[in-house]
Amino acid sequence: MAKELLSFNNDTTCSSWNYSSTRLASGSTDGSLSIFDFIHPSSSSSLRSSFNSKIHEGPIVKVVWVPPEYGDAVACVTADGIVSLWEEVAHDSQPLQWKNFKIFRCGLSKVLDVQFGSLTTLKMVAAYSDGHVRVYELLDPLELKNWQLQAEFQNVVESVSAFGKALCLSASISWNPQKGGSQEPNFIIGFNSNTAELNSSKVWEFDQAHQRWLPVAELALPEDKGDQVYAVAWAPNIGRSYETIAVATHKGLGIWNLGLNPDHDGRLPLERVALLSGHEGMVWQMEWDMSGMTLATTGHDGMVRLWQSNLNGVWHQQAALEPTS
Amino acid sequence: MPGVASDTAINGGALIPFSDDTDHSLPVYPLNHGLTAPISRLAISWSHGNSLRVSIFAAEPSRSSDSQSCGGKVLEVKLGGGDPEITDAYLRRIAYGSVSPFALLQSRRSEVSALLKAPSPYQLDWWEHVLEYSKEITSLLGGPKLSPCAIIEDPNEIVKKGEEPTCLKAAWELMEIFYADKQSQAWLPERLVEWLAGYDSLFTSTQETIHGKLVNFQKDLVNIQVIEDDPRYWEAMSSALSVGWLDIVVKMLRLHGSYQLDQLSNRELENGLVEAVAVLISKMPRLRPESPAGNLGECFKSKPDFTKAWERWRSQITKLDCSPFWIQCDNHQTREGLRNMLQIMLGKTENLSKATCYWLELYISHFLYIRPFTMGMESMYNLAQKCIQLKPPSSTHRLTGLMIGIIGENTEVVLAECSREFGPWMVAHAIELLTAGSEHAEILLHDENYNLGGISIVELHRLVYAQVLSSHALTWQIAPIYLTACMKQGMGLLENLLYRQPVQHNDLLLKNIEICRLYELDNISSNIMKVAGVYHWKHGHKGAGVFWLQQAQDATRLNRIAQQLFDSVGKSISDESFKQWEGVIELLGSESKPAGGLEFLHKYRDFKKSLQQVSGGKSSDAARQATVSLIMLMKNPSTPQRFWLPLLYDSLKLLNWKDGPLLNVCETNLLLNKVEELSLAKLRPDFIEPNVPGEAIRSIRLALATNLGRAILEE
Repeated sequence: MAKELLSFNNDTTCSSWNYSSTRLASGSTDGSLSIFDFIHPSSSSSLRSSFNSKIHEGPIVKVVWVPPEYGDAVACVTADGIVSLWEEVAHDSQPLQWKNFKIFRCGLSKVLDVQFGSLTTLKMVAAYSDGHVRVYELLDPLELKNWQLQAEFQNVVESVSAFGKALCLSASISWNPQKGGSQEPNFIIGFNSNTAELNSSKVWEFDQAHQRWLPVAELALPEDKGDQVYAVAWAPNIGRSYETIAVATHKGLGIWNLGLNPDHDGRLPLERVALLSGHEGMVWQMEWDMSGMTLATTGHDGMVRLWQSNLNGVWHQQAALEPTS
Repeated sequence: MPGVASDTAINGGALIPFSDDTDHSLPVYPLNHGLTAPISRLAISWSHGNSLRVSIFAAEPSRSSDSQSCGGKVLEVKLGGGDPEITDAYLRRIAYGSVSPFALLQSRRSEVSALLKAPSPYQLDWWEHVLEYSKEITSLLGGPKLSPCAIIEDPNEIVKKGEEPTCLKAAWELMEIFYADKQSQAWLPERLVEWLAGYDSLFTSTQETIHGKLVNFQKDLVNIQVIEDDPRYWEAMSSALSVGWLDIVVKMLRLHGSYQLDQLSNRELENGLVEAVAVLISKMPRLRPESPAGNLGECFKSKPDFTKAWERWRSQITKLDCSPFWIQCDNHQTREGLRNMLQIMLGKTENLSKATCYWLELYISHFLYIRPFTMGMESMYNLAQKCIQLKPPSSTHRLTGLMIGIIGENTEVVLAECSREFGPWMVAHAIELLTAGSEHAEILLHDENYNLGGISIVELHRLVYAQVLSSHALTWQIAPIYLTACMKQGMGLLENLLYRQPVQHNDLLLKNIEICRLYELDNISSNIMKVAGVYHWKHGHKGAGVFWLQQAQDATRLNRIAQQLFDSVGKSISDESFKQWEGVIELLGSESKPAGGLEFLHKYRDFKKSLQQVSGGKSSDAARQATVSLIMLMKNPSTPQRFWLPLLYDSLKLLNWKDGPLLNVCETNLLLNKVEELSLAKLRPDFIEPNVPGEAIRSIRLALATNLGRAILEE
């Protein structure tokens, strides 16, 4: 049933596939970034390394691909919380090579997660260990070096709420995967921190009229608002009249349906349609398939679990994959 | 209302039909990675369609043992595994073959809907189209193959070996019989008899069957001396008779020892009885239009004719059964064997039950000998229940599950069975048969369902199948046929599918763009071309990059490229890069006017070209040409001020031309004025310091002054 595509070097800690699942980027504890390509691009045969270089002194903890409209590029998040953008380019009849174009650092706070969203311009949302969220905007669509800080805010509904110094262990961001269309860009973010107000996952939408980001939905029941969020995933919508988002906390895996039309407060109507248990602990990652009908998750129990809704709209675990040696 | 779905239906509502989730326990599949070290983390990513890629990272790399040890693996898992009976290659052949019947049926559906102005194509002769579709699919699943044995007759061959039947084909035919073939509804029982004759062997995997019995008997045939003394001979014949395999029975009867020439004289009576039974069997009346050429039995199309013949036949059997000849027959085995066969033909439940191996065979035997007129689903269902009670199944075969769903008229169960046992191809295609079956099913399957995100069950299964198709490089291109048959969400999925195709290879790219054009997905098409443009531009194929960005009409990026071209103005660049630069200007210019300042770039290119010729040789013509270009550039209002100085600095050679002044007084004055303007502009805050040596402006002034003097003298 399973086919082996690649063996990693020692110390590899993270990996990520590009938009067309034809290139794999991986990062290691020794700070090296590797890129792998299929030997025969048309068939998913085996992969070979096309780039490998030490790009940082410390470990790389996350690799994220930039949308293909902006080139073949990855953002590497390091354990010390720095983001560096690397791109494969050929300059002035030189051969193709991976080059560093930009490094994002921010004082003492560390970047925990970054995700790219692209509608009219490329935007990068970064979640920081002090609970701040920063949205950067790319100024020149052909050059990945010029970025502008578009907004900075905390993941709270009431901006006036006061709390002590926040310490966040992890964060998870997921953009609405819509392409084109008239909708404003929006994403969801949740934190795993010591500050209850920051934790719950919230949907942020850009308000064109006032040029600012607004929280339009909070995906947590009143009694669960302080729960630490492990992972969020926004499902592709191929024609539903509502959006579907998965949120994982220690209570389990919540599946939320989010209405498209805001009420008079500007909030989107939402409903938790399922709370599923399975991983018993930390959820590492959640990924929706291309139709938004199947959710794959991994977590602390070392399993891959697959979730679906049946014909009656009841969500359940459909199957599990158990790694064995 | 379809009513509350049964448990099976809920279970089978699964979108991904995993092969063996027959019970409610969660199926757990092993993921063999072969790593020795414990696992620290997993990463997952969906590839195309249903394939999931899992990265497995080892915890502590075992440095001590060997440096070659592996830090992790990437595995690809294809979900929704298909039918174990059918190879991937064969399934792909089926997938390709079923596209055109499916597409034809869809286009007919829309024609009919347009005619009726009603969405439901049910009524009229719709089923005829469905039947035609079904026949085409059947032929795709493997046609009957004439076995070589049929040509060279082997008297000892009882069971013919034809093409290996598949459960998939058997299931399809079963659904065709019940849902699509309205013409044969009148002789449904006979069609089932035929169906079992073709597919009984498939059940051998889970239980004893008559087919299996016959095959085993045939194997031993060569070792048997006196066939009629072997109880298995009679057992095999009565079994074959019970499910109506008349040809086989008659053929076996003729193997009876009494037919042998040397025996004929002393076993005349015995032989007469055997022959009488054989004749009765071969005259059995059947309620069906006609049987395949050469098959035994007499066919009657109309019920009254059949009833008459049936009565007469039965009376003949009864007569033979009561005949005094039996007492005179001294071969015990023959006597008992033949009389048992007569009882089967007379429809004695006990004998039938003994002769058949499992409930489905018993069920079929009822149609033949007890209730040839069984009609209507309810009575068929009750009969099946009765047979199951008489012969409780030890395990369920996937075909019997489907059968019970069909005769139980439970559309959900039928769908669930199809989906679970035969996979997404089956459901997506068989749903056409189901909807042709009844208005109730039609409503159930076409109703939009909020729980499914506002789509119908039909659409859902097409989407699921399309997703399976898109998992493979060889089949994804037929997925659009199924997606475009989905009113609500097909296009959305098609967009996602196309967006995820790689753009590096032109043939694939062109194919994708063609698909976009076909389905009017302009948005996606321009996005694909944009991605291709950026890819080529950044990977050093500037020409292809500009071409695709122009195709995508991406004004923003084209403008940026034009801006980048300006950066080269006034800089000394190598021949190679000048050529490339020139090529890009050419490309950008071929479109009407996508980027500003192009006029300047064109003129600048002409100027630069003649200037290169000048530096190459000493041609005065070239120098004159360059001068003309220079003046044109300086006169033109579209030439940005920041380029004046670099332009003039580049032209120093022209201004100091040895063979005489190239500029006349008027032209020289124009340039002097520009230099003056530049000196003033320098005082403004937004002035951009051009990238030229500090003394440039002085040398230009000097050259212009010299030129002016020489020009005045010349004039």
